[in-house]
Amino acid sequence: MKKDMTKLGITLMLYASIACASLAVVYAFTKESIDNQSEIQLQASLKELFPEATVFEPIQDISSPDPNIKFESAFEVKSDSAALGLAVQATGPSYGGNATLLVGVDLHRSIAGVRVMALNDTPGLGMNASNPTYYVDKTNKVTFLGQFEGKFLTDPFEVKKDVVAITAATISSASLTNIIKAVGDAAIAYMDQKAMAAPAEGGTPAEGAVPAEGGTSAEASANIGAQPQAGGK
Amino acid sequence: MSMKKLYSIFRQGIIFENPLLMLMIGLCSAIAVTSNVSNGIGMGLAMTFVLLFSEIIISLFRKLIPSMIRIPIFIIVIAAFTTMVDLVMKAYFPDLSKSMGVFIPLIVVNCIIMGRVEAFASKQNLPSVIADALGMGLGYTWVLIGISAVRELLGNGTLAGIQIMPASYQPILFFILPPGGFFVFSLFTSFNIWLKKRMEVSARNKELAAKKEAA
Repeated sequence: MKKDMTKLGITLMLYASIACASLAVVYAFTKESIDNQSEIQLQASLKELFPEATVFEPIQDISSPDPNIKFESAFEVKSDSAALGLAVQATGPSYGGNATLLVGVDLHRSIAGVRVMALNDTPGLGMNASNPTYYVDKTNKVTFLGQFEGKFLTDPFEVKKDVVAITAATISSASLTNIIKAVGDAAIAYMDQKAMAAPAEGGTPAEGAVPAEGGTSAEASANIGAQPQAGGK
Repeated sequence: MSMKKLYSIFRQGIIFENPLLMLMIGLCSAIAVTSNVSNGIGMGLAMTFVLLFSEIIISLFRKLIPSMIRIPIFIIVIAAFTTMVDLVMKAYFPDLSKSMGVFIPLIVVNCIIMGRVEAFASKQNLPSVIADALGMGLGYTWVLIGISAVRELLGNGTLAGIQIMPASYQPILFFILPPGGFFVFSLFTSFNIWLKKRMEVSARNKELAAKKEAA
């Protein structure tokens, strides 16, 4: 019996090792393409949100006000040297696991646009968040994420009040709205910190576009970290 | 192994032993992803691929698999192929992979594959196993495409994302929701049973006629 068990164990191990080895080969072959896909997707979406932008400068000192929502990457969007706004790739819990959105914020402190980076949800229901032909407003052809375009960061962002939910996917709608809201709150804090504002008629906020020096960045993140207590109700 | 025998194994899966409509296995994926046609096609093909290769491997190694640990080995083989499909889809068909979400990884626990591997592939030789996998895969795929076409057309007014119904058509949301899935599925089942009965009757009549002629 004991001998049997060892033999069975070794057999099982052999099968598992072969399976692992072949998976490793497939993984190695597809990894580059998968990474490329998400990078291509990110770059394309950034360009879509800010068609005039020439530079997407990665920034570190912006942090999420909600512990459940993580910022994967953040960019200061510039056209040559003039700032255009911020773009943040944020991941948060949704109905079918984590969802990743790319949220663009312009200097008027309104949402420039939202794109889906990754979403696991029920096909035909929550998945409609990334469906370009699913309209929450059929007459004006506005998609679920499209309705956020131009929305001010100080708006309440509440589903069924100022945000139209996807039919039969209220939880998904609320979760995605929360992610966008988190980015909005963080963006307000970041813009206050860096004194970023829409250019007044004639003048350009030259200092606003220049990132703060090393010394102040720790202070900046501390300030933003303090934001959730104030803004998080 | 004659071609005729292989063909008779192949056609079993399509109507007489259709995995979804007659054997009633693997239903969760069939109802969950069938809210639009492209999902139906993608899921059907992914599942057929995994079924075919798992059955081939299990059949080739069937004498080297101790029966006491056959289930864990089956799962290892199926999971390996499923993960490959998942990776390849993510790499080369990102849109499809995105819309299928979690249901590709879930092929691992699809009872159709487990059932066919256990009941068929672990006892049969390679040619019949290939015929069985293709038949079962096709049986699964046509039902998925059929259900998803009905659900998408009535529930959303489109087919594979293309608007078919006139703009004035008010989509019947019921068909996209899970209850609509069950409803359409039961219609397909009744149709399949009716078809099967009819084919059996006509086969018997033919036999009787042949006997009469001989007498």
